[in-house]
Amino acid sequence: MPQQALCAAIELLVNQALSLNLSGKSDLDKLEQKTLILYLQEIGFPLSFTIAAQKVLVNTLTEDADCTINTSINTLLLLKKEQQLTELIKQDKLDIIGDIKVAQQFAHIAETLNIDWQSELAKHIGDIPTYKLSQAGKSLGDKFKFAAQQIQADASEWLVHEKRLVVTKSQLTHFNQQVTEIERQVEQLIRKTEQLLKNKILPNDNAIKDSCE
Amino acid sequence: MSTQDQDQQSNSTHFGYQTVDKSEKESKVAGVFHSVAAQYDVMNDLMSFGIHRLWKRFTIDASGVRPGNKVLDLAGGTGDLTAKFSQLVGREGKVILADINSSMLNVGRDKLRDKGLVQNIEYVQANAQYLPFEDNTFDIVTIAFGLRNVTDKDMALRSIYRVLKPGGRLLILEFSKPEHELINKAYDFYSFNILPKIGELVAKDGDSYQYLAESIRMHPDQDTLKGMMDNAGFEQSSYKNLTGGVVALHKGYKF
Repeated sequence: MPQQALCAAIELLVNQALSLNLSGKSDLDKLEQKTLILYLQEIGFPLSFTIAAQKVLVNTLTEDADCTINTSINTLLLLKKEQQLTELIKQDKLDIIGDIKVAQQFAHIAETLNIDWQSELAKHIGDIPTYKLSQAGKSLGDKFKFAAQQIQADASEWLVHEKRLVVTKSQLTHFNQQVTEIERQVEQLIRKTEQLLKNKILPNDNAIKDSCE
Repeated sequence: MSTQDQDQQSNSTHFGYQTVDKSEKESKVAGVFHSVAAQYDVMNDLMSFGIHRLWKRFTIDASGVRPGNKVLDLAGGTGDLTAKFSQLVGREGKVILADINSSMLNVGRDKLRDKGLVQNIEYVQANAQYLPFEDNTFDIVTIAFGLRNVTDKDMALRSIYRVLKPGGRLLILEFSKPEHELINKAYDFYSFNILPKIGELVAKDGDSYQYLAESIRMHPDQDTLKGMMDNAGFEQSSYKNLTGGVVALHKGYKF
């Protein structure tokens, strides 16, 4: 029953987030009794989202979907940009069956979620601890970001310059330019050769013609 | 076996490990559930460590319920399945929460009303053996942790078959026989030594939970219950063991 456990956890999380949403639940009314089914390649079973009485029900039922989306988690994250939709369908990374508006409305609810985490936390632990905690969190986040950048820079240095396992972007560009130049030269050579061959054959042809006459 | 013995056997049934007269079982079971009704949900969470919620979710997922369906949640108790079904069948559908025990039905009704679930739910006090519904009424019938308390299970299965529409399905979620001996032993220890003590502490009623443990052991195992479903007329009967067979979900169709 890991599927049911996952559904229960998602359902709890989604409904908790919706209950804390500062924008209210008015968007849910438009989706009353609508069902979106999501097939994610990574998890291998369907996740069905149904809106009922301003709540989201999550289960693995596949009956009567208004819209079915077949995709991967990475592609789903790219869907935040609405203009990417057509491109992703063209690339076969996204398969949509049914009413696309339902999917867009679900996505809109997710995008417009506006939760004041600090005031929610303050209700439980008080203002000062919340402030301290959020400052600590921010500082920790900055440190992690800096550390990640540092690690990335060091790793690049080691791979490119010390071990020479990969090339730099400028080296790659230079290589590409060289390839293009060689391509150009080869084409030029082919053209010249063709011209030479043409010139050589034509006089011979004339000679045959002359002999016939 | 003499005719008198046969008569005695056909008129008797199990109440836990006790053999009682069929006419007695109903009132004895009623006594148990009147006693535990108020603490039923808390005890379910405590006894199963909350896993009963996943078993019920699994049942909903296996039901194939659609908007507009008519569902009978038999022995529905405090309405866990009814709550989910009610949201999934929508305004066009209907869910009937039926239970033989008035205390359980009252607790279930109060709970569902508190959740704001009122539009498409009806409450019926009914005996599973004599369902007070017309033939071919329901798309789905579920009975979760209720069949083992029914006096005549074969009769109940025939009654359920009658009220199901052709194409309808029955789902029985019930305690069953663990698949592995090790789980069986651990489960026995838990059921007979810990469970009644939790019942005593929380619900102030250790005897009812002793009955619970005994009734689980007396309930037919997976294959026997599947055979009973076949005998009642169900087709494509099958079962799925959950949590190593501690619980099994049986499913059968009426065509």
